[in-house]
Amino acid sequence: MTYFKTFLAAGLISLAGLPAFAQQNITWWDFLSGGDGVRMKALIGRFNQEHPDIKVNATTLEWGVPFYTKVRTSVAVGQGPDVMTYHLSRMPLGLKEGVLDEITQADLDQAGLSKDDFFPAAAAAASGDDGKLYAVPFDIHSIVLYYNKSYLEGSRFLDGDGKLTGINNLADFEEALALAKEKGSTAPVSYSTADDGGIYRVFYTLLAQQGGELITGEEVLAGDNLQKAAKAIEIMTKWSENGWQPEQTEYEASVALFTSGKAAFHLNGVWEVPTMVDTEKKGALGFEWGAVQVPNLLGTEATWADSHSFAIPKGTTMSPEKRAAVMTVIGWMEKNALSWADAGHIPAYKPVAESEEFKKMEPNATYSSLADSAAYDPRSPIAGVASPVYDASINIISPAIHGYMDPMQAAEQVKSELQSRLH
Amino acid sequence: MAMLTNRRKEVAVAMTLVAPFVLTFALVFLYPTIRMVELSFTNSPLIGPGEWVGLDNFRRLLTDNLFYTSLKNNGYFVLLTVVPTTVLALCIALLITRLKGPLQAFALSIFFLPYILPVSVVTQIWLWMLDFQFGVLQSVFTMFTGKPVPVFKNPYWVMPTVAAVTIWWTNGFNVLLFIAGLRNIPRDYYEAAALDGATKKQQFTRVTWPLLWPVTALILTLQLILQLKIFDQIYLLSSGGPFNSSYVLLLMVYREAFQLNHGGYASAIALILFVVIVILSVLQFQLLRMGRRR
Amino acid sequence: MKKFRTIENWVLTVGTLFAAALWIFPLYWAFITSIRSEERVVSDAAGIVPDEFNPISYFEVIWNTRLLNWYFNSIGTAVIITLVVIVSGMMCAYAISQMRFPGRRLLYGIVLASFMVPSQALVVTQFILMNDLGLINTWAGIILPQLIVPVVIIVYKQFFDAVPKEMREAVVLDGGGDYTLLFKIYLPLNWGITTALAIITFIMAWNQFLWPFLVVTTEDRMTIPVGITQVNDAFGVYYARLMSVALLGAMPVAIAYLIFQKKVTEAVMISSGVKG
Repeated sequence: MTYFKTFLAAGLISLAGLPAFAQQNITWWDFLSGGDGVRMKALIGRFNQEHPDIKVNATTLEWGVPFYTKVRTSVAVGQGPDVMTYHLSRMPLGLKEGVLDEITQADLDQAGLSKDDFFPAAAAAASGDDGKLYAVPFDIHSIVLYYNKSYLEGSRFLDGDGKLTGINNLADFEEALALAKEKGSTAPVSYSTADDGGIYRVFYTLLAQQGGELITGEEVLAGDNLQKAAKAIEIMTKWSENGWQPEQTEYEASVALFTSGKAAFHLNGVWEVPTMVDTEKKGALGFEWGAVQVPNLLGTEATWADSHSFAIPKGTTMSPEKRAAVMTVIGWMEKNALSWADAGHIPAYKPVAESEEFKKMEPNATYSSLADSAAYDPRSPIAGVASPVYDASINIISPAIHGYMDPMQAAEQVKSELQSRLH
Repeated sequence: MAMLTNRRKEVAVAMTLVAPFVLTFALVFLYPTIRMVELSFTNSPLIGPGEWVGLDNFRRLLTDNLFYTSLKNNGYFVLLTVVPTTVLALCIALLITRLKGPLQAFALSIFFLPYILPVSVVTQIWLWMLDFQFGVLQSVFTMFTGKPVPVFKNPYWVMPTVAAVTIWWTNGFNVLLFIAGLRNIPRDYYEAAALDGATKKQQFTRVTWPLLWPVTALILTLQLILQLKIFDQIYLLSSGGPFNSSYVLLLMVYREAFQLNHGGYASAIALILFVVIVILSVLQFQLLRMGRRR
Repeated sequence: MKKFRTIENWVLTVGTLFAAALWIFPLYWAFITSIRSEERVVSDAAGIVPDEFNPISYFEVIWNTRLLNWYFNSIGTAVIITLVVIVSGMMCAYAISQMRFPGRRLLYGIVLASFMVPSQALVVTQFILMNDLGLINTWAGIILPQLIVPVVIIVYKQFFDAVPKEMREAVVLDGGGDYTLLFKIYLPLNWGITTALAIITFIMAWNQFLWPFLVVTTEDRMTIPVGITQVNDAFGVYYARLMSVALLGAMPVAIAYLIFQKKVTEAVMISSGVKG
């Protein structure tokens, strides 16, 4: 009888103990699926292995408009994920759409993080106008200039160590493009000229390098910024006219042009670093490559930059335990961001970004200084990924650089189109 | 009395027989239709309540350039697909019926195969074939125009290309109907015509064509309704671009409802599309019937 | 004259086969691409003749996507849709064809009319409805709006109309009711048409894109047509993988078609009323 009682008691205790072992299933959405997506999948796999009590179920959706459309619709019908990646450039738009939940102090404590752990610019970008945090910054990423050494060998653009050198202004860069073309490059500088993001990133870099501003206060392209925008479009048009940049190129094709050795230079995000590394490792690249911060072509050191962050969608009815699990995931990711840096990104979490290991990483080290020259999107609900600014890039700037419109005319259209969206 | 109970019983049984269809119909067809009309007079978001705004959505629609572009493109797409696919299908069907035995089955299966592919498989394959940098068909374009053409990024090429892909995808269905129609024509009609000394051409215009007219009318009707509802291929191939030059009404509905969260405005556009399709298909049906009588 | 006929025949046959070869070329090209390495696909050396057999992208796609999930969802929902559409359509058609009840003509009028009405125009309010019912991201949500296929009723009615009245009498004398009549007489007499309609409904459901695309947001609930667009992501070079996933997605129904070719061909002809 006592045995039976003990048995029963033991059973009850183990039953009571069950919830502690119950696995928290976390639904995770991201838009990372290429080079950096592979790294993220590995990170999630490692997390799941180390945490038997939490299981992250990751879904990768299509980057850009499809992703943010899905987020918006899902939040509206209460079917959002538990945690998602989010571009900080889109923060004002996200807040206006009301899809982001506040990250409270308690949440941060749970994750073992504090606001001061992050680069101030990233932390500010992740906050609302009310000063509250709506996302946890994960990285800073920008575009960099990839180069194929085989086209530059024997020219003044490679130094003794085989590193890119001697590009100090637009004329230098265009000289290098002409040289590459002479040497048989069919697309001396490739970037995705048929894609909103690809065009915007280059346009914004060229605008910022002239000290230009897209939005000043409440005005789009105020004052001589209009001329600067026209100048940026003009440069891109010229590259097109001279056959230096590929026409109407989709994102994948722009990368393939570089990896297949047809492009001498490639303007694209740091997130393609893993693609180059992996292809080279397989022995399929066929040339030596490098990546540097986009050279200062127009007088001001500046490069388009954005941040990935983690956010919790509004309106989810998560149990406190689940929310704690979500924050545990976020905290773990931040502390293991070194593996994310492996995907080319610069961690936003200072303890990792300032660590010795990170400083030794290649090629990150060659462009990690860009954290200082980063030109973020203007803080506005018309800016950011999948915003009116990106729409204008594909609908107005793209036609212009392909010769359907004059640069000044395009700049004016960008101004009037965006101005009308601002109010 | 017995008659009456029988009658009542018959009605009761009939009700149980039609109930599954009628109830589903009411739930997923009738009710959404009524809701669509209702929402088109409000400013509601996709999910959640809105306010009655009367005819505002329709007034706005009349000043929305994208609406006219979309309407025009819907019409353009119908022009590009309906008659061409019918003519092409007839030609292919005439060719295939000449073949014998296994060769005929083989040829038919090749022309029909694309029809059973999911639309996204079709678009993936064609996006790759027509890729501006690496597409295998670009060498064909280079042969004719002297340089590659970014078909989905060029405002003049985009609609014809989407139409061509659509025809490749769905043509097999029409071929099959024509073949069935051709098989239904009794052989002795041709023999009689041949005895009368009719040439091949006369045989076609006097025998084949008139007897094939019902099938042709059916294909035209089915195609018209189908092509007015174009969404999938446009969304997957060009997303309405470049610079909105391939926007169509259903894409506009999708964008307003699901990307911009304008449930009311989207319903207004959907209502217009709904009415347009109903009117056109009724009109065409009547026209074709008249054509047949004559 | 005779000789001329033969030559003409030959020319036309060869021409037809040539046209068929052009028609199948996209699928051939997709296959050739899918068995090349990603690097070779974008290199100038990639000709139109197969020169490499490297199935790695197939493994990568199966390994890295939820393809098996999507198959399961696609086949599962399409089978349920087919069953429900056929059974409910058959019942409704039987009542319209063989019974007298108030509203019969109205009902048939509605069925005929809804043949012309575009359900795609209803996606917004159907989505709202599915949300109200809590069916977003569920099989029921995918299935429900696809259950209205008026053609099934129209075709069944024509065939039921043609069944001789004498066939009814034996059953009626035995005291059998309408359900017995339907399942013992009318259905067995029309097995051919039932298979035909089932095949057509299945293909339609299997190829549906817009609705599942709207109502499903999580990857593990996606159907094949929606799922394979997800592989179309923004970063990286992966044409071989894209073609692999496209071909894998098309595979089951394509194989089924090639096996049951004759049945499918007949199904299309019968259900469109061209062949009775």
